[in-house]
Parts: sequence; structure tokens; C-alpha cells
Amino acid sequence: MAPNRVITGQGSKLGRTIHGLAYDPVHDEIVVPNALADAILVFRGSANGDEPPIRVIQGPCTKLVTPHSVSLDLEHGEILVASLTGKRINVFRWDANGDVAPLRVITGPETKLGHLVGIAVDPQRNLMAVANSEDILVFNRTDDGNVAPRARIAGPQTGITDEPWQLQFYKGKIFLAASNHLHVNLYSGVTLKESSKAVPDDPWLNPTLGFIGVWNITDNGDVPPRAMIRGPFSGLLHPVGLALNPEDGEIYVSDSVRNGILSFLVPDFFEPKADKPSSDHKE
Amino acid sequence: MYKRLPCWAMALAVVISWAALSHSRADERRSQPFPEDIPAARMVADPYPALNGIAVDAENNVVVASDPNRKSLLLYDRSRSTSEGTQTVPVRQIIGPETYIGMVAAVVVDPQRREIYTANNDIEDTVVVMPYAASGNAKPARVLSVPHQAWGLALGRSSDEIAVTAEIFNAVVFYRREAHGVEAPVRVIRGPKTRLADPHGIYWDDAHGEIAVASHGNFRGVIENTGGGCAPAAGKEQTASESGEFRPPSIAIFSSRAKDDQAPLRSIEGAATKLDWPMGIAEDSLHDSIVVANNGDNSILIFDRQRGGNVAPVRVIRGDRTGINRPMGLAVDAKNGEIWVSNYGDHSALAFDSAADGNVTPKRVLRSAPAGTSTPGFGNPMALAYDTKRGEILVPN
Repeated sequence: MAPNRVITGQGSKLGRTIHGLAYDPVHDEIVVPNALADAILVFRGSANGDEPPIRVIQGPCTKLVTPHSVSLDLEHGEILVASLTGKRINVFRWDANGDVAPLRVITGPETKLGHLVGIAVDPQRNLMAVANSEDILVFNRTDDGNVAPRARIAGPQTGITDEPWQLQFYKGKIFLAASNHLHVNLYSGVTLKESSKAVPDDPWLNPTLGFIGVWNITDNGDVPPRAMIRGPFSGLLHPVGLALNPEDGEIYVSDSVRNGILSFLVPDFFEPKADKPSSDHKE
Repeated sequence: MYKRLPCWAMALAVVISWAALSHSRADERRSQPFPEDIPAARMVADPYPALNGIAVDAENNVVVASDPNRKSLLLYDRSRSTSEGTQTVPVRQIIGPETYIGMVAAVVVDPQRREIYTANNDIEDTVVVMPYAASGNAKPARVLSVPHQAWGLALGRSSDEIAVTAEIFNAVVFYRREAHGVEAPVRVIRGPKTRLADPHGIYWDDAHGEIAVASHGNFRGVIENTGGGCAPAAGKEQTASESGEFRPPSIAIFSSRAKDDQAPLRSIEGAATKLDWPMGIAEDSLHDSIVVANNGDNSILIFDRQRGGNVAPVRVIRGDRTGINRPMGLAVDAKNGEIWVSNYGDHSALAFDSAADGNVTPKRVLRSAPAGTSTPGFGNPMALAYDTKRGEILVPN
């Protein structure tokens, strides 16, 4: 099926490698990072075609480095940005525009930040979480500077192996697309690493398949998911994108191997009862 | 490293076989799904090949297209055309887990050696070389690791090299033609003088000793952006830091021997050019021109090869009769006087007379799906958002 509308073209300032976005229902805006231009673009919610963004956050003051994923704190009016290669989280006012300084930046060795591809914020509980190289790191929403995460969800019981991807919060729960694809980068930029010896197998052929996992926001350590979607009937191979529609009890998931979008009707995932660790999930 | 398994999501039976791997041996005969194995209520995906890169070999009468949707290469009879909007049957399709074909972008052919080169754009980070005779789940003749986000490919016959564009690194990386496995580049074009910014399509013009590169203009510096900010920290020496910027799209023409931070010989750039997300590019020796798949406005632009600067195209193929729809790949068949373009928005590849101009119909059409079959146009969708106001799912490519 064809999309309802497409934002595209040079005038949009979009790149063709967009791996994050968020919708702001309060201001009816779409927020999109352009990692290849170190920029955050904000579009009208109804944008269509070769339409320019209404605001652009870009420039040296922004301290943006390969902005890869975004999350919106609608209660406090903030945009949170996770960096793919810069090991940092930048926080801006929702209406920031131009070459503006971030309100806060979480970065430094204590943070344990690595390869970030997903971010979510819970304004009610004043927490944020990022999908890190092979774990979920949880910070206080207002953390700033070189601060340690308050929790780390990782380990064999979690089922997360490599590159957990997009995550979302809903009522004290973390929803994660655990891709479990195995990406091995043999280059540092355009320079071959000395340690590179052989072409890795196709990252999408990792037999450890991905899944959708749900944790409590208070979880810490090697904790199994409290709810999951995975397996052959689900059609999930290596899921990466994740969006929630609690009103209709649906979870939307993108899967790069399928190059498609799947919709799951799981109203109980949004209910308080989904709080027991999943059994017999470990591979 | 893990064992390679058949896992292209083409058939439910194959998918089910993978499931056995993810549960214990005692569960292998289980016919009921596990509680967490919840069937999807809906799925949006394109069951047909989506054509991205395109290459033509007039000597062997072959057209090759790359398909990042079903992860395949399709070989067509060059002279064939679909009739009454039916799907064109390819001569061969190379597809399957042994092929290493993933999110493929550009494709080029070597008519002399009868080999196909294709670049895996995202995650896989490889260039795959297949013999013309390959079919089905064939192993490649060679697989070469390349930098992340490779998109464009070009073959240099005179220097026996291949050139690969790397989007995020604003670079062109060169290898020996026969390079395989893990092998260092022989040279790289990269640096502030090159003006490369999110490079995509590339061609190699052996006759004039030139290489041309299409850039989208997204630029994040060639020195690592450390995010140092805009003001030096008090009492500390400011480290080198660059920030992003949007540059105009361009076609940069380099010496084919260029390397390092070498400036282009000339560059086509500016408002008069009408460049708008330029994708595949090729040289047309018959008309001494540069031909560009202009994705952003559904057109093909033709420029005088020898001119640079803010120049208008000498011809533009554009309009409702052309059938051009989100063009990606582009190839020129100088022998038969044809321009080939692949449509990512329309499951088709079109052949135009290379002298075509304006709102003209193509000479021939190849279709990877019946005419009128819509496509979601996905290209590795790796994030989602839900628009609660409109009840729409937002998908970036």
C-alpha cells in the first residue's frame, strides 16, 4: 500500500538515513534527526512533499554529534537527543531553533554511554532511558554532565544481545525493540582497523532472533522481560522500530529484514497486570 | 561466528524453521505458539522487488537491477519490454542467505569479465561481486568489507580499480578491482577541499580520466565533530570541532587519479542546476553529457559534461508521460543510445532515447510488479512514531 503522504526532497533538509523520529501531539509537530548534517528538524504535523522544516537546530553551539534518535518530554517542553557516535545525550527546549546551546548534556566516562540508537523519557517519574550498545541505561531526567546511570538492564536473562534499538515508555514500563542483529564494524571512518581480519557474516542472519520486550522502569540488572513478542507466528526477525498506540492496544514494529511494519494487538501490555517476568524465554 | 542460516523472510515455512532454533529441542514438535509468539494483526510490506540501482551491458544484452526490498539482484533481457502492464519475468534472480545481498544500493557491471558488483548500503558494509551466471541462492565470487553507508559504485577500467562512495564519511574509497575479504583501500578522496557532502552516485569516465560524484549536501565535517560547542572552555584549549551544515546538492568532477583532500576539477552546483537529491549518475559519451537521476523532483537532468558552476541542465526529462517516479539508479547505454532509470516509487525501470527531452514516453518498460501496484517505499525503516491526532504511523527511511 502507498503511504498517505511523504515528506521528501532537498527542501525538506532530510537525509536518506533517518533512524529516529517523534510526534508531538501538543504542538502538532514531527521531530526528526538528520545524523549526516548534525541537525534536528521540526516539521508541521501535516507536512507533505518537499516542505521545509519550521525549525532547525544545528551549529557548533548545539554540541550535536550524529543525532540518531529523539524523544519528547511534553510535560517539561523538551527534546531529548541520543547520539550514535558522540556518546552523549543532548536536551533542548521544545521550541529551540538555530545554533542554540542545549539545556543539558549527559556525557563522559561515568555515563557508560556508547552506541546509542534509542531514547525515551518518562516525565512523570523523572526518568529517561537509552538503548545502548548492548543494554538499556536509565538516568534521572534532569541528569547533566558526567553522571552514572541509576540502572542498567543487561545480561543473558534479558535476551538482549546486540544493538537494542528504539524504545518507548508507557506508565512505568519500558518497551524495547531488541533487534539482536550483529553488526561488526571493520572500519574506523574510512580506515580499516588493524584488528579486522575477516568479513563478518551478514548481521541480519544472526540466528538469535530479535523480540519486543517490556520491563518495569524500576528494573535493574539481568532481569527477564515482563512481557514479550517473539517467535515464528509473530513474524518478527530483527525488529528495530517501535511505536505505541495504547488507546487501541496496539504496538507498531518495523523489521529491517522484512523491510516492513507489523502491528500487534496487545491491550494487556498496557495494563498494570503485565508485571511478571516472562517464563521460559531464554534461548 | 554463528552458522549461516536460511532466513530471508520469503516463506512462512522458512520462518517456522527458524523458530525451532530459538526454543529448546523438546519444543521442536510443538504446534501451538508460545504465549509470547503473538501473530501480527496487520503488516505493511512490499512483496515485490523494489528497484534501486541499475546497470546495463549492451555487449551481452543484459540489464541488472538491485532490489533492497526483497534483497536480490535481478537480471533482465535488455531488449525486452513489458506488455500491457504485466510483470516482466527476469532472466535470473539472485536471492537468498548465501548471497550476502542485503540493503543494496548501486550496481555496476563488468561486461568483459561478466561480473556484477553491488554495494550493501547499511549495516552489512560490503561490496558483493556475482558472476552473470549466478542464480538463486548463489555464493558471491567475492565479498569485500567497505566503510559504513556505502552507496555508489564505479569501475575504473584503465586503473583496474573500484570506487565506493561512503555517505556519512563524505568520502570516495578506492580498492583494487579484485579486492576481496578485508583489504585496505588503495586511496581515498576526502577532506574539506573535496566539497563532498553525503555522496551517493558516482561514475568513472576512463576516456576523459574523470570521476564524478553526486552529493546531497548533508555535511557533518571531515574532522571528527567532538561536540565541543561554540565557546572555548575557560582556561582550556579548545579542541578541533566541526558542526553540521546544509550545503547545496552538487556534482563534483575529479581527476580519476585524485586522492586525499584534492579539490574537484569543476563542480555543478547552484539553483540553476535544479539538482534535488541526485542519486545515480552516468556519463553519456554520445552526447558528451552527464546524466542524473534527480530523485527529489522525479526527473532526469542532462548537463554539458565540460561545464561547471551554477549551470542549467541542457535537457530535462520530466512529466506525467515519462513515468519517472522516485528515480534511484541510472545507466547509459551509449551503444544503443539509451538512458536507463530505475524507479523506487513504481516497481519499474525505464529506457529512454538518450536524446530525449521534456515530457516524453519511455521506449521500453521493465516491471518488477504489475503496473499500478502501489509500494510503501520503505528503505530499511529503523524507527517509528504514532501520530495520535491523525491516527497515522510515521516511518522514516
